[in-house]
Order: sequence, then C-alpha cells, then structure tokens
Amino acid sequence: MNPTDLIGPVSPLGSPAPFWFITFFKVLGFILHMIPMNIWFAGMILVAVFAAFGKNHSLELAHRLSRTMPVIIALGINLGIVPLLFTQVGYYQFYYPAGVLIARAWLSVIVILIFAYYGVYVYSLGVRNGRRTKFALISAWVSSIAFIFVGFLFTNNFSLMANVQDWIHIYSRTSVGGAALGTGLNTADPTLFPRWLMMFGIAMTTTAVYIAFDATFLKKRDTSEEYRKWAGKFAFVFHTLGVFVFAAMGSWYIFGTLGKPVLDQLNHSPVMYFVFALTAISPGLVWIVMLAQRKSVRRNATIAAAVLQLVVLTLNAISRQWVQNEEIFKFERVSELPVRVQWSPLIVFLLLFVAGLAVVGWMVTKIVAVERSEAGV
Amino acid sequence: MHYPWWYVPNFTAPMLIAGIATIHVFVSLYAVGGGIVLAGEVSHAYRINDKSALDYLRTHTLFFILLTVVFGAITGVGIWWTIGLASPLATESLIHIFVFGWAMEYVFFVIEIVSAFIFHYYWGRLAPNVHATVGWIYAVSAYISLVLITGITAFQLDIGNWTPEKGMWSAFFNPQTIPQILARSGASLLLASLYIYLHAAFKLKNHPQLRSLIENRISKWGMASAALVTAGGAWWYVNIPESARSALAGASALNILTALIFLASAVVFFMLYFGPYRHPGWLNPGFAILYFLLGIAATGTGEFIREGVRKPYIVYNYVTGNNVLVSEIPKLQATGYLNGGVWTKAYMRQQYPRVMTTDGNIDYNKLLELPTTDQLRVGEVLFQYHCNDCHSTRGFSGIDRLTQGWNKDMVSTVVTHLDKAHFFMPPWCGNDTEAALLTKYILSLSEPAPPGMKFSYAGDSEDGSTTDVIAREEKNR
Ligand code: HEC
Repeated sequence: MNPTDLIGPVSPLGSPAPFWFITFFKVLGFILHMIPMNIWFAGMILVAVFAAFGKNHSLELAHRLSRTMPVIIALGINLGIVPLLFTQVGYYQFYYPAGVLIARAWLSVIVILIFAYYGVYVYSLGVRNGRRTKFALISAWVSSIAFIFVGFLFTNNFSLMANVQDWIHIYSRTSVGGAALGTGLNTADPTLFPRWLMMFGIAMTTTAVYIAFDATFLKKRDTSEEYRKWAGKFAFVFHTLGVFVFAAMGSWYIFGTLGKPVLDQLNHSPVMYFVFALTAISPGLVWIVMLAQRKSVRRNATIAAAVLQLVVLTLNAISRQWVQNEEIFKFERVSELPVRVQWSPLIVFLLLFVAGLAVVGWMVTKIVAVERSEAGV
Repeated sequence: MHYPWWYVPNFTAPMLIAGIATIHVFVSLYAVGGGIVLAGEVSHAYRINDKSALDYLRTHTLFFILLTVVFGAITGVGIWWTIGLASPLATESLIHIFVFGWAMEYVFFVIEIVSAFIFHYYWGRLAPNVHATVGWIYAVSAYISLVLITGITAFQLDIGNWTPEKGMWSAFFNPQTIPQILARSGASLLLASLYIYLHAAFKLKNHPQLRSLIENRISKWGMASAALVTAGGAWWYVNIPESARSALAGASALNILTALIFLASAVVFFMLYFGPYRHPGWLNPGFAILYFLLGIAATGTGEFIREGVRKPYIVYNYVTGNNVLVSEIPKLQATGYLNGGVWTKAYMRQQYPRVMTTDGNIDYNKLLELPTTDQLRVGEVLFQYHCNDCHSTRGFSGIDRLTQGWNKDMVSTVVTHLDKAHFFMPPWCGNDTEAALLTKYILSLSEPAPPGMKFSYAGDSEDGSTTDVIAREEKNR
C-alpha cells in the first residue's frame, strides 16, 4: 500500500493565507513559544532537585525560578497557540491523522498540564514557617517530570505527522472496526528520542541563559554579590551540559536517523546547508559568552547571551521547519495548495498584533518604572 | 472520512467535547465577567478610597488568577485539542474560515495574561489610576475574546448567508452571533457575581460589615446579568433555525432544560433582590453555595442546549455529524461510503484485498460473498464511520437499546431513511449493499425485547444475538 493513500483530500475552502505567511507565523510563533517553554522544560527539574537537595545559593535559585515560573508557564502556553493554529491551517492533512492515531496520549497532555501547572503553584505557595512543605517538594517533582513527559508527547505527535509510512502500521495495530482507538505512539520512529532529547538540550541552554539574566536583572536588590558569582558559574556549567546534550542528540538525529532524501536535499541546497551549519555551531557562541561570565554575571555579557540565544532558537526553528517541509512535501506539496486569501481579516489581525504589542509594551514600561523607583535607581 | 475516526468505547468521542466544554465554560465565563466586575469595583474602591474593599478585592484576584489562568486557559486549549480529535473535518473547516479570528483571539489572550499578572503582582505598587487601567485592559481584552469565540460557535449553528467565497466576516456576523453574545455576557457577569459571593461568604465570615458592602454592590451586577441572560436567550430562541426549534420542541428533555434555565435565572434574580440587595448581611456560605450551583446549572444547560440543537450538523449545512461535507454526500451515495472514505478504503484494502477491483476500488458484489463474520466486521466499520459520533454500540445513546426488539425491516428502514426517521440524523450516505451490511451488524447488537411482556416479540426469528445471526446466515448459504 502506498503511504499517500492515507492522506485526506484538500480543503475546498482554500488556504486563507499564502503559504509563506503561514510558515512565517508558524516559525515566529514557535520561537516565541520556545523561550518560555524551554525554561519550564529544563528549569522545573532544577527547582525540584535544588528544593530537595540544595542549600544556600542553589536553594535560592530554586526559589527564584519558582517565583516567576507561573508567569512563564502562562505566557508559554498561550504563545503556543499560534504555531499550533498555523500548523492546523497549513498541514491539516498531516496533523489531524497523527493526532487521532495517538489520541489518548495526545488528549492526556491536557490533563497532565493541569496537574503540572498547579504543582508549580503548590510549590511556590507551599511555604510554612519559612520552609517548604513536604507536599510542595513532592509537587515540584511531579511537575517537572510531567513537563518533560509532555515534551515527549509533543515530539510524538509532531514526528508522527511526517512519518506517514508508519501510519498504516499504527492504525492496523490499534484500531477497532476500522476506527482508531487512539492508543498508538510513534515509538517505532528512530527520530523520536533524539528529537525529544535534542530539545531538552536546547532547553538547558536557554534555562542557563535565563538564570544569568535573572541574577543580573530581575529583583536585583534581593540578590547578593555571592549569589551573582555563584549564578554565573552555575549558568556556565549548566549551559555546557546543555551544549553536550544538544550536540550528542543532534548528531544522533541528523547522522543516525534523518532519512537519506532529506540529507541529499540538504547537500543540494547551499543556503540550507549554511543555515544547518549555523544552527549546529550557534550554541557554541553563547557558550563563549557564558564562559566569559563564569566568575560572576555581568550586564553586557548577559544581554549578549540573551540576544545570541534568541538567534540559536531562531535558527533551530527555521531548520526544523525546513526539515518538516522536506519530509511532508514528499507526500503532498502543501505549499502549492489552492489559496483564497482572506485579506481583510488578515490585515485586521496584523493591526491588532501591533496594537497588542503596544499595549503590552505600555504595561511593561509601567512595571519597569515601579521596579526602578522601588530599587531607588 | 477524510480522517481516521476516533473510537471512544461506550461514550463516543464527541461527548468528550461536550464534557470538556461544559467544565471550561464555568471558568471561562468567570474569566470574562470577573475581569469586568473586578475592574469596576477596584476603580470604585479607589475613587472612594475604601481600603478594606481593596484588600478583599486583592485576595479575590489571587483566587481569580489561580482558577482562570490555569484551569480556564488549559481547558480552553483542551477543547481545541478535543475538537481536532473528535471532529477533525469540522475543525479543519472552521480553522480555514476563522484562522484570523483565532489569531486575533490569541493577541487578546496574551494581553489578558500579561495584564492579569501585573494587576495581581503590582497591587499597591502601581499608581491607583494605572492599576485600575490595567484592570480595564484585562476586562476589555477578555470581553473581546468572548465576542470572537462566540461568533465562531454561533456560526456552527447558523451559517447565515455565508458561502465559501465570502470569507470570515460574513461567517462571523451570522444571525446567532449577537443574541449569543448578549446571553453569554449576562452569563459571565452572573457567574462572576456568584463566584464572588462564594468566595466572600467564606473569606469574609468574620467581617460582616465588609461582606454586606460587597454583597450589596455585587448584587447589582448579578441582577443586571440575570436580565441580560433572559433577553439574550429569548432573542436567541427567536433567531434559531427551524430545525433547532423543532429539536427543542420535540425533545422533552431539552424543553425541560430550557425552562430550567429561565427558571434558574429568575430564581437567582429574585434571590439576589430580596437577599443581598435588600437585606445585606443575609448571605451565608450555605446560600452562597446554593446560588452558585443554580448559576452553574443555568449556564451548563444553556451551553448544552446550544450544542445539542445543532444536529445533524457540526457546522450547519456544511459539515455533518458523521464528518462528511454536505457537498460530498451524493457522490458517497453513488460510489459507496467505504469507497469514498480515505481511511475506510485503506482499511478494506488491507483487510480484504480480495474484494478490491484492479483499479483499487471496492467491488460491492464481492462484499456480499464474504462469510457472515466478515460481513459483520464490515458493518462495524460502517457503524464507526457513520453512526459512532452520536451512538455508541453499548452505552451512551447505545444502538443496542435504541433498536431493542426491532426486526430486520425496522432496522433497515431506519438505516436507509435516517433523516426521515429523525431530522437530527444525517441522511444515509452509503449505497444499498452497505445499508444491508450495517443492518446486519446492528441486528447482531440489538437487545431482544424484554421477556415476559404480553406483546413481546421474543421468539421472532428476525431478531437475535450475534451467534443467531451468524448461524442463520450460514444455514441459508
Ligand atoms: C448527528 C447525530 C446522529 C448520527 C450521525 C446518527 N444518529 Fe441515530 N439518532 C440520533 C439521535 C439524537 C437519536 C435520538 C436518540 C434518543 O432518542 O435517545 C437517534 C436515534 C436513532 C435510532 C432510534 C430511532 C427511534 O425512532 O427510536 C436509531 C435506530 C438510530 N438512531 C440509528 C442510527 C444509525 C444506524 C446511524 C448511522 C448510520 C445513526 N443513527 C446516526 C443522532 C444520530
């Protein structure tokens, strides 16, 4: 049987936006989502470990991370809406079947997230007589493991989307009367584990940069000189570990599991070859900056690290999009489907997007002013 | 048909949507109404410089955030997850029509999150006018997100003059949108006032004076909202499509529920008027819980009815409950349901290569030559893809009970005249062979008539369990 037999018909409504527009917002949205998502993905486990075993500075780090974590999670979940929305517009023939085949796991994401998120609150509000309660400590563990597991489920769906060859196997293994039970997972796909863990590696590096950023800029008056020294060193160590994980998993992914057609395509596209190379080495640039502040966090170095980390995430998002397109174009050139652009809603959206940024910007200037005046700057 | 069908035993996948949507709405409406009430009350408290009211509103804000930002937001995403799994074709269509509506909604969500956290964390630190403004930014963006999503759900029940060429605005401004917005605005304020009562009744147990003040002020919001719900609901009823009105009229359960909403709203109204409005201090935790449950019941049934009267469509006149486009039905009837579905055809090709023609289609004559067990299995596939979105085999709206004691002719007549038997079922979208196979499968499930009744059909040779059907068929061969 031909894998393309399982791909559903094209929507008669036509795509509401040009493909480049969909791709642009999908990638942009994913970058914006990755920043906060990375911090809880790799940061919550630090909270759990240090809350249980840390002392002094590491305990302080757990405390500081958990204080902003609820806000980071709320933002990150909302920022995840846009890439998912544009995935459903541009890649619906792939997204829905993959979701249905793993429906139980996919729906469980929602339940797990509710527990994981409340767990974060239980941890940050669970202080009795100046100490964390047992329940709070356990909650931190539950949350951090839950978040890592949710990452695994996301990798499942997004790798299965492009792994059309395996659909029929999962379908025949897990269907009743031709309907999917939704009990499948994409575990037969060799790219699954490296993809999941590669993201964990990137998340470690983002979290490391965030730790330096937090020590440098957020609630500075709560921190001591010693803490900032310690944070610089710890962020460097954690970043180094993250780079290792990223490099190891990235190599496994690209050289061990990526299909030959995609690799061939890469070799034939000098631009993408270059972008891939940059994607691979960019964490190294951040690492050099982190190395420079390993004795203590410093303002300029932190800003440089944050900007460069944004570049790392952007390159990652672009490379991922390219691979996804290459894998999916084999089955359907989704970029060439009929388009019926909805101009006026599109323009209204763009205007609101800009206006929304302005409103958020206004509120942020107000709180920055408060922070400054309270710090006596 | 475009997508694999998700089989949820005993319950059916679309019922999961109903379940999640109902619990979501209790919190999401509060997220809107609560935002408006909080912004209004905080502004008022600043104006008259009422410190104790501000202190209370502050504790309420934490409660508000813990509930709306976590549970409300994630269950909202959860609805989106579930519709994609349980009604993928309808979701695909809605997202094509409304992608920018959802994208705008996302902008407002982000503003909501940022303003909610600033409102809470910077309480007492921002200048009062800035703080109140942040509260209003939250309230306005939350309200716009209610308007946006209501336009989309209203479109599902009535597409108005929309055609695919006309795009999003024509879909958005359908005859249902404004009445539903009114009703939901009212429901959101109503729920908000009930949540505040509930919270205040426990939190302010020992501060009778402050509690009375809060009760009195909030009861005005509550009474206004009960009136809005009634007006919006009535307007909605006047505007619904004929089929929805008939569904309401025909289903006694829905009728009772509709009456209940109005009754509950009226009761809440009078209870608020004679309770906290006229006699502040009257409210105790027990009454607060009672109010709250009444409000929840009214809102929950309202949303339940809104979902229920859409049948047989998921998107009115465009996508049917069994996940086919209305425009596809004639072709499916001509060339076969199994043949027209991407996944059903793949299934047949994989399980029964011997019934496929050389050009890859199903040869329906050969289908009838299959052994009976296989015919039943093919019937099961038809059931999954044509009926399981509304009926389970055993369980919710179970076909075993719906056809209890029926004979073959009855089942076959209903199968081939679904929409005639009940207008809230889609038309039969397959061919005659498929109808025969599905009938056979349903008969294998249907319960015999209960024994011991004088007019019982027990013993009617047309009925029987799976084994009976197989045995009979084998004998006839
Ligand atoms: C869009 C939803 C929907 C679909 C799809 C649907 N039905 Fe129904 N059906 C209903 C509803 C609602 C009822 C009324 C149930 C009740 O009274 O509890 C019903 C009732 C029935 C009854 C009982 C009729 C009676 O008069 O008592 C039968 C039999 C039935 N359906 C068979 C089927 C079969 C077979 C299919 C698939 C080919 C199907 N239905 C598809 C919604 C649907």
